[in-house]
This record gives sequence, structure tokens and C-alpha cells, in this order.
Amino acid sequence: MTGYILRRALVTLPTLLGITLVAFAILNLLPTDPLLTWSDGTAPLSAEAASRLRDALQPDSGPVTRYATWLFGLLRFDLGRSLRDGRPVTAVLAEALPWTLVLNLSALAAIYAVGLPLGWIGARRRGGAAAAGRALLLILSVVPPFAAALLLQRLLAVRLGLLPLQGTGAGDAPGVAAGVDLLRHLVLPTTCLALAGWAYAARYARAAFRAILAPEALAAARARGLHGISLARHFAPNSALPFVWMVAGIVPALVSGSVVIEAIFSWPGLGQVLLRGVEGRDYPLVMALMLLSAVTVLAGQLVADLVLPAIDPRLRDLVARDENVRG
Amino acid sequence: MSVDRRGARAGIAVLAAGCAVALLAPLLVNDRPIMARNRTGRIIFPALRADRGVAPRSGDEPLLWPPIRRSWRDVDLAATLQPPSARHLFGTDLLGRDLMARMLHGARISLAVGLGATLLALGLGIILGGAAGLRGAGTDLLLSRAIETLSCFPPFILVMALQAVGGGGLGAMVLAIAIGRTAAAARFARSETIRWRGTGVWIAARAAGASRPGAALRHLLPLVSGPLAVQAAFGVTHAILLESSLSFLGLGVPAPVPSWGAILAEGRGSLDVAWWPTVFPCLGLALTLAALSWAGERLSSAD
Repeated sequence: MTGYILRRALVTLPTLLGITLVAFAILNLLPTDPLLTWSDGTAPLSAEAASRLRDALQPDSGPVTRYATWLFGLLRFDLGRSLRDGRPVTAVLAEALPWTLVLNLSALAAIYAVGLPLGWIGARRRGGAAAAGRALLLILSVVPPFAAALLLQRLLAVRLGLLPLQGTGAGDAPGVAAGVDLLRHLVLPTTCLALAGWAYAARYARAAFRAILAPEALAAARARGLHGISLARHFAPNSALPFVWMVAGIVPALVSGSVVIEAIFSWPGLGQVLLRGVEGRDYPLVMALMLLSAVTVLAGQLVADLVLPAIDPRLRDLVARDENVRG
Repeated sequence: MSVDRRGARAGIAVLAAGCAVALLAPLLVNDRPIMARNRTGRIIFPALRADRGVAPRSGDEPLLWPPIRRSWRDVDLAATLQPPSARHLFGTDLLGRDLMARMLHGARISLAVGLGATLLALGLGIILGGAAGLRGAGTDLLLSRAIETLSCFPPFILVMALQAVGGGGLGAMVLAIAIGRTAAAARFARSETIRWRGTGVWIAARAAGASRPGAALRHLLPLVSGPLAVQAAFGVTHAILLESSLSFLGLGVPAPVPSWGAILAEGRGSLDVAWWPTVFPCLGLALTLAALSWAGERLSSAD
């Protein structure tokens, strides 16, 4: 088992290196002149600004040198300084990271909390409930998240005034009140971020439940007198497998989804930082965020791969027999 | 099975109709005549040249008008935010531009981005994944790591980063979305190649003298055309969503060109007083995506 964990972790190393290469290459090797891009071709940069930019980007010191410098900085968690306000990139990221984490984790929880029951209904029920579930899924999967966000924001925050319009709340209220305020501010962004995930999760869960709940196994369980909740509990360990795998599919969607949702709800997270960085051509910032999002996705896959053998005895046997889990 | 095939056909028929409308947009909605006679007596087609910024000349004698005589870019400040009416079926936007004309022209952008990016991604993916599957050993190891690396970048983030280095414009957007979608296609191509390599089809093709890439393209590709079509349907859905999200954030195709996402973003500002600039692009997007995912799902269950 330890050997498996080590080997699996080792395999990610080349990918990790590849990720740094791609992130660096996109922002450094394209045949565009950063100084020209910065001025947008309209007004030339002042001599002072140009020299400061030259200083920060080092356009003349060959890509290999720059990559090496960047990589070594990375090892010391030094991601350079923002070109716009001169603050260290790590500080900018650290400021926004908690907000993004809160939003994405609550969206992840919401996806599982709604998607799995929907999938269960789709797999188990016939007739009315299943048809309603299918219709809901179809609607969820075809409404673009940003469109849904606009309309929900309009309806719930502006027309009905039930929820706050945007932002994260003042945060100056004491203790419990501040928590409640934050939760109220979280409801709309979380829902909108989870929207697209619900359809995916429910579809995934439906297929998984169908495969697990084979008629014979079900008949045997029924014959032992299981039904309803106890039936679900009986089959739960078996179904944990695909649902852990699902994380690997959800994480990339969340990473990109939160850029749009944060923009709509003025949520002060990493998505907003990325948007500002792209608009302001803040190369070190964009590079760091590309790296971060790719590493997050990679980590999602790694976690899924490491957790699976831990919860599934069949996979443990496979691992013990030195087989590759992912086939 | 037959029901699913019919379902797939229905979805594809809806899409084909949408594509036709999008392609013919300049002939359906335009403020220039389709056919006119100019001063020297020659027949010209001003509507087809409208996108290239050629100003219509006053001496031309119009012969045939499009069914709806509206421009997608003419600002009319006397008619801002008009509700839907017989004159403007979808109403007008904040600058008095006809929304229906803008949406029909925007459909061409979505279509071009969706189809272009998907085809490019499939092409790149088949080359990468096919090479990995065919060569095996060291090449496979190297290419697999490359594919895995690429798959770690969410396409959306990749496209945004490319925009940061000055890659605006339609072509750059198509390329960026295609690169972001390549990993999925390459994975598929690799696993299918490995699955079919060594089967009877493969051995027969090789024995008949086909080269390895030749055998893969001529004999294996048709075998997987079904799943490939499914991949393509979902790819187009994804690309259209990506494009509209980017345009919505102001990172899409440059400003005067209407894209559904851009129209939505513009409509957002006037949502207080007018619902039409937001609702119609939303409906358009939802219907397009519904038809696409319907077709994709039916295709996948038909196999």
C-alpha cells in the first residue's frame, strides 16, 4: 500500500513539471511583445514605465534563464510581484484564497447533497418522480450558469429582496450575526455555481446506482427484509467508489465556473483576481493562477486515486497484486 | 433503439435548421438589399458584402430585399430599449440596435467557434492520442504525460491566459478553446487505438499492406465514428458555453461583433428596465444547448 502511494505520487511529478512548463510557455513564448501588448498599441509607454516593465519581465534574458529563475522562485513559494501594484503575488493570492475556498467547498457540498438524491430517484423510481427528475436535469444542463445567475439574482435579490445582491457582507457584526450574514451572502453564488454540477452529478449517480443495484443483488437484499433507508445503507459502501471518482470530474468545472460566478456576485475570490490579472495583463499573477488551478485539478485526481483503494477492499487487492488501478 | 435514432435525428434536424439560419443570417436580416443593379447596370449583391464594411452606394437600384430590413450594428438613439414589437421582433438594445438582427449574426459566431474549435480539437486529439496508442512504449509514456498535463488545465483558464498575452480575435479564441479540449479527444483516441490494435480488422489491414497510421485512419476511425460523433456533440456544447461565458466577461470576440454572451453582458446593465436584451439570448443559448445535448445523448444511447 505504501509502495502504491509512493508510486502514484511519483507519477505526478513529471506532470507537475509539465504544468509549470505549459503555464510558463503560454505567457512567455508566444510571439507577442509584452511591451507592445501592455500599451495595447495605442499610446506608447513612457520611458520610465517601459524600463520598469523590462525590469520585471526581463524580456532580453532568454526563455530558459527566465524559466529557471521562475521555477527556483516557485520552490521558495516566491511567485514574483504583481505588475500592477507591486505586491507579492503570494500575498494577493492568500488574500483571495479563503473566499474561493468557502464558495467552492459549499458548492461541492451542495452538488453532492442534491445530485446524489436526484440520481437515486432517477435510478430507483419509475413514473412521475423520475420524469420530474429528468425534466429538472434537462433544464439544469442547458441553462448556462451565468444566465441562470443573472436571472436568479434578479428574481431573489432585486424583486423579492430575500437575499443579498452581491458581495460577502460587512463582516463587522459580532459572532453569530456575522456568520449568518455570510451564509445569506453565500446562498446565491453557491446555488449558481452548483447548478451545472447537479446535472452532471445526478446523471453520474443515476448510472452508478443502476450498475450497483443489479436486480439479483436487490432481490437478495429485499428477501432479507431490507427496504427504504436500510436498503440504501446496505448498498452505500459499494456506491462510494464512483462518487469519490466524481470529485475528479467536478473540480475543473468548479475552478472555471467560479470565475464567472465571482464576477457576477462581486465575490472577492481568486476568480476575480484572475479576471483583473487578464484584463490588466499582469503576467506573474496570471501565471501563478494557471499553475494553481492546474495543480488543484491534479490534486483532485491524486486524492481520488489515493482514497479509492483505502475504501474499497477489491482495489486494495488489485494494488497488492501490483496492478495499475486506473487500467 | 429506433426511438433513440429518431430522437437523435430530431435533435440534429433542429441543429441543422439553426445552422442554416445562422449561415444565411446576412440574407435574412440586413439593411442592404440582397440583389441590386449598380449605375453601370451590373447586378451586385450588397448583403453578402456587408460584413466587410463596404458602404452601400446611393446610385444602386435595389432589386431584392431581405425579409427583415434591419441592421445588426446601426445605432439608433431614437429607439433605445424598445420592447418587442412588429418592427423589432425581439426589441432593441441600449443603443437602439435590433436584437433579433444581432442574435442571428451572433449565432454565426457561436457556430463558428463551436464547430471550429471542436473539429480542431478532434483533429489534434486524434493525432496525439493515435500516435501514443500506435507507437506504444516510450512515445506512449511521453505523450500520455503530455496529454495528462494538458488535461489539468481547465479550458476556461487556458483561454483566459491566452487572452492575457494579447490573443484577442476570433481565430485565437477558436485555437484556445481547441487546445483546452484536445486532452479529452486525445485520451479517447489513445484508448480506442489500443483497444482495436491487434484485433482482426487491424491485422487484416496491415497484412493488406496498409501503413500503421494509414490502417488507423482508414480502418479504425470509421469503427469509432459513433462515439466520436457523441464526443463532437458534447464538444460543441462545451465550446459554445465557453465562448459565451468569455464574451460575457468581456474577453470574447472584440466589441462591435455580436456574440450571445456579449449581448447578455450588455443587456445586464439595463435589466432594471428591460427584460428582452437578457431573456432572448438566454433562451437562444438554452435551446441550442438543449438540442445539442439531446442529440449527443440520443446518439450515445443509440449505439
